[in-house]
Amino acid sequence: MAGAVSAQAIARLQAALAAEQAACYGYGVVGAYLSGSAAARADSDWVAHELARDSLSAAITAAGADPVPAAVAYQMPIQVRSAVQAVALAVILEQRVAEAYIGLVGLNDLTLRALGARQIRDAALRATTWSHATAAFPGLPGSSLSAPGSTRAISEPG
Amino acid sequence: MAVGPTRRAVLAASAAAVPLLVSACRGVQVLGTPPGTAPDVRLLRSAIAAERLMVARYRAAVAEASPAAHPAVATLTGILAEHEQHLAQLNARLVVPEGSASKSPPAAAASGSLPAGLANALLALETAEQDASDTLASQLLRVPPSLAQLMASISASEATHVPVLRSLGRVR
Repeated sequence: MAGAVSAQAIARLQAALAAEQAACYGYGVVGAYLSGSAAARADSDWVAHELARDSLSAAITAAGADPVPAAVAYQMPIQVRSAVQAVALAVILEQRVAEAYIGLVGLNDLTLRALGARQIRDAALRATTWSHATAAFPGLPGSSLSAPGSTRAISEPG
Repeated sequence: MAVGPTRRAVLAASAAAVPLLVSACRGVQVLGTPPGTAPDVRLLRSAIAAERLMVARYRAAVAEASPAAHPAVATLTGILAEHEQHLAQLNARLVVPEGSASKSPPAAAASGSLPAGLANALLALETAEQDASDTLASQLLRVPPSLAQLMASISASEATHVPVLRSLGRVR
């Protein structure tokens, strides 16, 4: 992560960090409602998010910015009172993390782009492990996808 | 492979692609050779070809797994639908000017041959998904940002098909 990091890159790193912080908090909730192998999986996913959070934080500091602080508490997107709801929350957390990392993939900095792509893949894999389902476009909001015939040419080479 | 339409194809992408295409033209003048395909268009075409092949393979696998009552059919059909969506989004990024050949060659162009027997077919699909995911992960470093985002998402989707196929293989 040596060299100048653009303000845009820092902003997207901060967004990814905020998503990882929320995931760390959320996995604490997830783990509390699970037992056995599911609880063990929640623990290992939790650790993965903590490592990602720490590495983003370090990257932001190295770029000369202050990492956004984590919130004291987070409003969970769904109510969790059972193991089934806990698993559903884990899937949502992974989707949100993937959506945050797509911003890094949109950068010209190839190190950050590769990091973002790796993290989207890992988040999608964790989500699939929880849900036993797959998605066509992990990390991409539906609004960013083209409806048929909606694109335009920008230039013609040669 | 027709050369004419390939040369004339362009990316429907962000403005970031423009400087790349402009500088490619300048380089061509210096070299005095005919314009080649912009590298990002070539990568997009390669991704489209790979996705088309995946669609063909899954169609073959669904046929292999029929009758429809077979437990693998629903899962394979679901994954096939995701690949069809990948292909549609990749195709939407490629703009071929009016008058040149269609962007989609006949379906017969992609042959989805799989090894005989469902168990072998599932194993082959598993390998193909992992390879496709890894290939996109490296290609996305050489295309404009907006296409990179689409490729990263498709690469992640394909990676998640691997464990699903593996568990399908175990169920049998």
